[in-house]
Amino acid sequence: MKWFFALAAAAVLATGASSVPAQPSEQSATELATGVCSACHGPKGQSISSVFPNLAGQQANYIVLQLDAFRSHERGDPNARAYMWGMASQLSDAAIKGLADYYAAQKPAPGEVGDKTVMVEGAKIYDEGIAAQGVPACASCHGKDAQGNGAFPRLGGQHADYLVAQLQGFQTGTRVNAPIMTAVVRTMSPEQIRAAAVYAASK
Amino acid sequence: MSKLGWKRVRMFACAVTVAGALGSGAAQAVPSYARQTGLACEACHTAFPELTPYGRRFKLNGYTIDNLPQVSGISPNKQETLLLNQLAPLSFMFQTSYTRTKSAMPDSTLPGELAKNGQVLFPQQASLFYAGRIAPNLGAFVQMTYDGTSGTFGWDNTDIRYARSINENLLLGLSLNNNPTVQDPWNSTPAWQTPFDQRSSVAPSPGAVTMLDGGLVDAGVAGLSMYGYLYNSVYAEFGGYHSAPAAAQLDSTSTNVVDHLAPYWRIAYEHQWGRHSWEIGAYGVVAKIHPGGGIALSGPTNKYEDWALDSQYQYIGDDHIVSVSTTYIDEKQTLDSTYGAGASTNASDRLKTFRIGTSYLYQRKYGAALGYFRTTGSSDALLYPSGAPVVGFANGSPNSNGWTGELDWLPYQNLKLALQYTGYSKFNGASSNYDGNGRNASDNDTSYLLFWFNY
Repeated sequence: MKWFFALAAAAVLATGASSVPAQPSEQSATELATGVCSACHGPKGQSISSVFPNLAGQQANYIVLQLDAFRSHERGDPNARAYMWGMASQLSDAAIKGLADYYAAQKPAPGEVGDKTVMVEGAKIYDEGIAAQGVPACASCHGKDAQGNGAFPRLGGQHADYLVAQLQGFQTGTRVNAPIMTAVVRTMSPEQIRAAAVYAASK
Repeated sequence: MSKLGWKRVRMFACAVTVAGALGSGAAQAVPSYARQTGLACEACHTAFPELTPYGRRFKLNGYTIDNLPQVSGISPNKQETLLLNQLAPLSFMFQTSYTRTKSAMPDSTLPGELAKNGQVLFPQQASLFYAGRIAPNLGAFVQMTYDGTSGTFGWDNTDIRYARSINENLLLGLSLNNNPTVQDPWNSTPAWQTPFDQRSSVAPSPGAVTMLDGGLVDAGVAGLSMYGYLYNSVYAEFGGYHSAPAAAQLDSTSTNVVDHLAPYWRIAYEHQWGRHSWEIGAYGVVAKIHPGGGIALSGPTNKYEDWALDSQYQYIGDDHIVSVSTTYIDEKQTLDSTYGAGASTNASDRLKTFRIGTSYLYQRKYGAALGYFRTTGSSDALLYPSGAPVVGFANGSPNSNGWTGELDWLPYQNLKLALQYTGYSKFNGASSNYDGNGRNASDNDTSYLLFWFNY
């Protein structure tokens, strides 16, 4: 038994000895993403739980804006507070940029098609909006294929539940860092929110 | 906590302690981790001490993930020589409780008299923790506890870890700890079993306890194990425990001394999908133990071979959280020493424990839990003797079973108020007059109110 422990300890310690980063504050984005962020967002930005968004293929500009908003506490929805306020607190601007580029370069998660009736309703809202309620088409900012554009995030391949939670956050005022979205969702019903989210996520 | 019980009776074979199998667990929820990471308690816990998938990952990573300003040092060739949190990762825990058994206990000295029923412990436990990163890849969970029952300070759960991600799919680590399964990331194994991680430390609890379920930690051990976690789902661990009681030297005056090393193993598989996770696993230990207590340590040993199965399911929604955890422990006892000394009826015995519990939590504030427990084993009139009030056994049998229910209120993530009830159908071998002094199993039914906070 004793030789086992000596060997085991040596083996584990040895794997670490050579790879101590020279400057911990300048950890590479890949190291951060795969060593820390991956616990929730998955090693390549595809998460398992819908509590945590998929980041693979997300717009780099959008990620920068969000990490900055977590760091400054401007974005304060429940999960942002519970997880991201802490996680983003010590990130430098350079680290944020590195992480954004890392995730933007990953292959997006494939969209999952939802219930047919919901998809039909969602497609209508996504492509045409709801004129009677003053809701513009999602596609006008997020793109026809929901790939996003700069500050407007990719919605395709996202967890539908995550999108629902964000839209609810905009509506209830727990997430206030996107005034456009606060205005957009103001009149939407819970059913309309779900339909739009399910359709957008399926792209 | 399992080390400190209502009244410890050291039996010859160490298989029996009066409080232990169900002895209240200890706290794993530590605000210094929240301070270190900047994460709210809910990131790692459903309701403390039960861990979420992220909490398990944090533990396996060696408690090292941090988001605090650092005091750092590097050598001229840019090798890191220091990385310290600017704040010490200290936490404090306080528990106060009220316990009432269905029937009062007998007076400890006056025959025929009864003790006061309805006991307040203030505190039941108070702990100081060092919990956080020590150096890159090295972190600790260290707990010192004042026990309100004994009025003493003692060393409690300790888990010091070194962990590294070898690549994005493989994590390797070492754990130095003092309690088999204290290093385990799931809450189905004994050290951090939930629900009912806390129980009254003054109410009687069944006397027969397996090594995995508290026997070894009571003996005083230190262990080192190596673990690997692959693809965020396959977990394997192997290690061993050495005797490490608080004593100047180990000799015939010591009790329950582990002979050489007791090997410990653990395998588990966890599958996560959406907001669900499900773990199934097995673990075990083989311990050869010198009973000591006047017998030379050169003599024969008692050998305990434990293997166990466990499983845990969790659903963690925004409003609703459901958990189910269960374990089954089977212990084969080969009592060469005890039997040779004429202190057990059989040369070998079996002892088996089964537990299952489920809990529901609404908005992380209001909770309810229900569980069943059962211990069965070989009858052994000398190992499980009758006659002692409250702690005696009927028919030389270690069998006990019953259920526990609990209501919880967590007004904040670091405060918990719990109201718990435990009912016994069988206690130490029988339902009625189990101790030979007229006490029934149901007389030990326990109402327990606990106020617990961590900061």
